[in-house]
Amino acid sequence: MIIAVQFWSYFADFAGCNKTEIEIENGTTLAKLHERVCEQFPKLAEAKNSTLKAVGVNYQDDHFVLCDGDEVSFFPPVQGG
Amino acid sequence: MKTELTISINAIDEDALAKRREMGDGMGALVCFSGVVRGREGDVSITAIEYEAHEEMARHQFGLIFDAIEQRWPVDSMRVVHRLGLVPVNEPSLWVEVTAPHRAEAFAACQFLIEEMKQKVPIWKKPLPA
Repeated sequence: MIIAVQFWSYFADFAGCNKTEIEIENGTTLAKLHERVCEQFPKLAEAKNSTLKAVGVNYQDDHFVLCDGDEVSFFPPVQGG
Repeated sequence: MKTELTISINAIDEDALAKRREMGDGMGALVCFSGVVRGREGDVSITAIEYEAHEEMARHQFGLIFDAIEQRWPVDSMRVVHRLGLVPVNEPSLWVEVTAPHRAEAFAACQFLIEEMKQKVPIWKKPLPA
């Protein structure tokens, strides 16, 4: 299945794009997708430990199992205000 | 609890917001907070901050914060405005208003909203050096 991935803030600069699509197998977790993303966009690996992850409009942890149609966002710590 | 959230590239018009204020008879406290862009970020002089948001998620996360506040304090209303895009030094990027029966819950709810926002609401800033 295909997962839509978005990068926000300076993560878009690190990746060189603000969105991409990645093909994954059924049962793939958010952690596994994050590893794939870091392999594809090595600069993002430098910020791996501080990366925040969301599926749709909700934060999810590494164990979250992705479903067809999910939209995943990777971004740095937030800085509103 | 009544809530109003505005996320916009438009400048925050505090006078217009004040004119639209509605205070219930039982409300004895009004807390207003403006977060203003400072002229320095660390040791660097700046002219403005550019704000970016994952807007759909930001609205959802603000909604969760409103829900948490409603469960903790007897707050009557909250209005929140966050500006996006380029915000020059000395202009507000954030405006929060809380009305409640007493000052303790109004101050607490305002502080809680800002602290939670800074942890959870996907908005980012890019300072522009002078």
